[in-house]
Amino acid sequence: MARGQLRIAADVGGTFTDVAVFDEVSGEIRLGKTLTTPASLIEGMSHGVSKTKASFADARLFLHGTTVAINALLERKGAKTALVTTKGFRDIYEIGRINRPEAYNLFFRKHRPLIERALRIEVDERMDAAGEILRPLNDSELEAVAQRLADEGVEAVAILFLHSYRNPDHEIRARDVLKRLLPHAFVTASHELSQEYREFERTSTVAANAYVGPRVTQYLSEADRVLEKVGFDGKFLIVQSTGGLYDASQASRECIRMLESGPAAGVIGTRELCAEMGLSSAIAFDMGGTTAKAGVILDGVELTANQVMIGGYAEGLPVQIPMIDIEEVGTGGGSIAWVAHGQSLRVGPESAGAAPGPVCYGNGGTEPTVTDANLLLGRLAPDLFLGGEMQLDVEGASRAMSERIAEPLGLTVAEAADGIVRIAVTQMANVVKRVTTARGLDARSFAMVAYGGAGPLHAVLVARELQIPRVIIPNAPGHFSAYGMMVSDLRRDFVRTFFSRLAEAPFEAFDSIFDEMESRGRSEIEDAAPGRLDVAVKYAVDMRYVGQEHAVTVEIPGAAFKTRDVGAIKAAFDIVHAQRYGYASDDELAEIVSLRLSVIGVIAKPQPAHLDAAAQELADAALIGVRPVEFGVLGGCLDTPIYDRAKLLSGHRIAGPALIQEYASITVLPPGDRLVVDRLGNLDISIEA
Amino acid sequence: MTTNRQTPDPVTTEIIRNGFIAATEEMKTNLMRTAYNMIIYEALDFTVGLFDRHGNTVSIGLGLPMFIRGMSETIKAKLRHFGVDGIQPGDVLLTNDAYITGSHLNHMTFSVPIFDGRHLVGFSACMAHWQDIGGTLDGMTTDIYSEGLQVPIVKAWRAGVPNEDILSVIRMNVRLPERAMGDLKAQVAAVRTGEKRFLELIGKYGRPAVEGAIEAIFDHAEAVSRESVSQIPDGFYEAESFMDDDGVDSGRRIPIRVKVSVAGDRMTIDLTDVSVQVKGFYNSGETAGLSAAQVAFKCLTAGLELPVNDGAFRNLEIILPSGRVVSAERPAPMRWWMTYPMTIVDTIFKALAPAVPTRVIAAHHADLVIASINGRQPHDNKLYLYLGGLIGGGWGAKHGEDGMNATVAINDGDTHNGPSEQVEAKYPLIVERYTLRENSGGAGKFRGGLGTEQVVRARHDIMFNAQIERVDCRPWGLFGGLSALGNEVRLERGGIEERFPTGKVLSQKIEPGDAYTVCSGGGGGFGNPLDRKLDDLSNDVRQGYVSAEAAREFYGAVFDAAGRIDRDATASRRADMRRRGLPKDQPFATEDHSSWGGCPYCTRLLQPHPEAQAMAGEAAAAGISRWRCC
Repeated sequence: MARGQLRIAADVGGTFTDVAVFDEVSGEIRLGKTLTTPASLIEGMSHGVSKTKASFADARLFLHGTTVAINALLERKGAKTALVTTKGFRDIYEIGRINRPEAYNLFFRKHRPLIERALRIEVDERMDAAGEILRPLNDSELEAVAQRLADEGVEAVAILFLHSYRNPDHEIRARDVLKRLLPHAFVTASHELSQEYREFERTSTVAANAYVGPRVTQYLSEADRVLEKVGFDGKFLIVQSTGGLYDASQASRECIRMLESGPAAGVIGTRELCAEMGLSSAIAFDMGGTTAKAGVILDGVELTANQVMIGGYAEGLPVQIPMIDIEEVGTGGGSIAWVAHGQSLRVGPESAGAAPGPVCYGNGGTEPTVTDANLLLGRLAPDLFLGGEMQLDVEGASRAMSERIAEPLGLTVAEAADGIVRIAVTQMANVVKRVTTARGLDARSFAMVAYGGAGPLHAVLVARELQIPRVIIPNAPGHFSAYGMMVSDLRRDFVRTFFSRLAEAPFEAFDSIFDEMESRGRSEIEDAAPGRLDVAVKYAVDMRYVGQEHAVTVEIPGAAFKTRDVGAIKAAFDIVHAQRYGYASDDELAEIVSLRLSVIGVIAKPQPAHLDAAAQELADAALIGVRPVEFGVLGGCLDTPIYDRAKLLSGHRIAGPALIQEYASITVLPPGDRLVVDRLGNLDISIEA
Repeated sequence: MTTNRQTPDPVTTEIIRNGFIAATEEMKTNLMRTAYNMIIYEALDFTVGLFDRHGNTVSIGLGLPMFIRGMSETIKAKLRHFGVDGIQPGDVLLTNDAYITGSHLNHMTFSVPIFDGRHLVGFSACMAHWQDIGGTLDGMTTDIYSEGLQVPIVKAWRAGVPNEDILSVIRMNVRLPERAMGDLKAQVAAVRTGEKRFLELIGKYGRPAVEGAIEAIFDHAEAVSRESVSQIPDGFYEAESFMDDDGVDSGRRIPIRVKVSVAGDRMTIDLTDVSVQVKGFYNSGETAGLSAAQVAFKCLTAGLELPVNDGAFRNLEIILPSGRVVSAERPAPMRWWMTYPMTIVDTIFKALAPAVPTRVIAAHHADLVIASINGRQPHDNKLYLYLGGLIGGGWGAKHGEDGMNATVAINDGDTHNGPSEQVEAKYPLIVERYTLRENSGGAGKFRGGLGTEQVVRARHDIMFNAQIERVDCRPWGLFGGLSALGNEVRLERGGIEERFPTGKVLSQKIEPGDAYTVCSGGGGGFGNPLDRKLDDLSNDVRQGYVSAEAAREFYGAVFDAAGRIDRDATASRRADMRRRGLPKDQPFATEDHSSWGGCPYCTRLLQPHPEAQAMAGEAAAAGISRWRCC
């Protein structure tokens, strides 16, 4: 094998580390799955790579998604961190937005700051909203602060000054002074991550970056060391929450941009799959053991959000950076079904998780889960789970289902199991609606790409619920995030709040902001690029009608700014507002809130090998058995053929009822639905109208 | 599979229940994203809901708890007004009659009937706070007529056609007609969304299944409530608390007395002895009194059970004769309707504390701590209205847990404060400080949450109005926990600080360079402060939640030379304090002589209360008072 012909992607998740290796010469893709080793993530990863019999020495690109940052946040295992902030505002991080979403819960809890109050230090400086200095920053005060932080043994420092989105001078000076005086600390300032207004959200963002900073930096340098040891001399790139890539030096400054790398990569995988298949729009549906997630590709572009709450809406910490817009619900294979007050059937939000897991895993689980329900319906094979590595306990699952659900509700075991799956499916359908219907999009005009271990098992049912006509199950749905990494591009995102009425827009000021963003983006892309790349620049603005608060992000062709075409900008905004909220107004004034610019360094996509064409449409050669499967209201209990996905060829057609079995997943095709295998090996399913 | 069971089955019911919750969440998001005034989009001062064809609540979006009855009672009134036959598809019914909605005139309440073909199957509704509804801009009101436009029950749309007469009456009577019409559009869009989702459920599962599921949702909520109440020991429980005053008779306390009885799985909340209606604008309609009782009941029985629906209250009886401060009669003024009901809720918790000590919570700051500001923009001289304050305050401690800091009062739920960076970009104001208020949480084994303090300096002339309560009558503790600091308002004009014995500081002109301060109270403590774990206390002191001085005075702490708590010395000091009956509670600011309690009086009183002034003078002369600010 020639040096530099491999592209290796490793997605380190909570349970498994998925590795995908693409050979750019042969077009072959190899996959590996190993258990994640929390103590040494890097080692687990290189073990996963060696399992695919690939060598880092042959790789040109190494693409990496990791949970190291999000775990440090969620498990509260970050650095000893201090906040340096504007006088009068050290408590803003603790006060937050004062809301109480669980309005009737007297035992509600607020978010918990990552930085204790004793380490939130004020300095006497102040800008106003126009960026004018009201009180100058005093270096000697900073020196005293540095001394205090050194005495406290602080490892990381976050800096947030009011209105730094408008004028970052004070933050820059404070950062430079503190870096100089605290050479071993991780120092980060809010404007480096977000130049959007909202001081609580920006504080929370920079605090999270500082909190995970030392740990992420250490992780990345360990990765560098390991990669060097194994002879890797290509480019090491990390996946951001936008699904775009950045290099290790950028990642070790802007650590929180990698928070949601795995889920984001899945959506990018969906985007590229759509491109290969000639689809302009799709819903990305990802279901695992504990959650189901949905994202959207619209006209070839993934939808993004400008803020996310890490740890949920009620108690979470906001992070104000662009991310792929992903909605999530705590419904997964492990979700527990229970009977509330003797009469109501509920699914979740409790999950059996990985331990004890569903009853059928035989690890001490006693409460029936969605996975148990699927097993009892015959949709999961007790002896084929994880390629037969794990035998499932049908009897135990049946007993638990009977005692805990079916008997109390006066249902049969099959009715109870079918009911649980149907309830789980509507919960997941609601999460898909949150990214489509709630954004003014009609789910019925989308195809759905389903992946994750449990995605293919439920995808068709979710699609039926939403009248989605077409479902695509990609190759290796359990490794889809790793695939997404392999087809991603380098990306840098910039945003700056600049309040201005559209009619009075200071275009010259906009030009210079955009130019600055673009030249910074281009040089950063160049630094990270594995060779020369085509670079694309995307412009967007956050806009609203005068008087509204919530702005929508509107992508605008760069030319509209160059030609000062106020009418075109307004029209683009009206269209987005009408689509999202059902109305727009030509004659109402609009206002610009923030300017956005993304610079994308396009990396050539791998060209996967095509599947051999089948000699006939009939897929009998892949048939491995027949068993009774309960389809409930979709047709009752039917003898259902089971096909081995590895044996399916391009052009094979299968009509439901059928199950398609593969290593870590199973696709359920109910009666009435039809499937064709395309030349790339995707299962392309048409849902009965 | 057998299908010979009666409909609806538990699976379909659960699917429809999820559908209703998702629909009301979507309505909420929709309105929040499209509204034109920050009271809706930021404070989330609105609620949306879906109702059965009789107007009973099926699901309310989690907005403001105290709107729990408003929409349902309004729909029922609309049904009475038009009759079932007087309502057509495409109608949009509107009113802001405060005596029906149980709030103030700012709450425009829209509902649309939902028809499945010719059958009326339910209603979709939304009540939301308009920034202005006319009426006097500053000061106190003493009847409803000075509070703005009253819209009786009308059809804003008749069978799909806008009623331009009504809309133009509204436009002419409000100060910011464009904003108002924007909010109107957003509200109608939200109720239309609810209508659409309701009909989708019917389209998918059929009318009988949906109606059956609604009954099942009610029945389930009822079962949960009955089971919960049956765990409360039977008995008669009562409690009393006070409001500072009604804003007209300054300093005259207003009694809030509640009686609760529990028998088996039923509860009765009797508000007969709550004060009669008052002269100032703190009254509210009967709907608000019912809401207060239901909110307290819901919190104590099944706070996390969704959707919030009327089945949950079938075992609750509420006794509320008319003419009380929460069942006031026309023309009582109602602009600040939301304040008293919050203290009623806390008082119900207080009454039931001996019965269910693990479910209740000590009192909270019980006020939105709002500052109503108006002024003119320096660049174009246009009027602006700014809802200042809304800073969140302390919540009561409870069994096993400290109270929450800086959280919005119980009238509101998912209400947000506004970012200071946004305030300063929009208005000629500088937010100088927004911090936690040290020592404001009531001392206790479990400490009450901390209140906050916000200082805002004007860069231009503004008019300032605070309508804040519970300045004197502080949030109480439970089971030996102490009272917290109350709410407070201060002004700084011409470099001189002014403090007030009351939170009703109305029609005050503030000039460039002057500042106002609003402080929210803390939450009451739970359990004897001398039982607080020393690790917790030591952390309180490290973080500055409790000063070393307060740790000594209220928690019996003794510090060594290095500033660490001396465990042995503390134990003996605590024993000594117990013998002497310390620490003493200070439930009223006017009787508080502690050195850290702030100064409730001074010579620069706006409406000096003679009694209070005399007391302050005496205390100062006797050398008791160390708390003078003046």
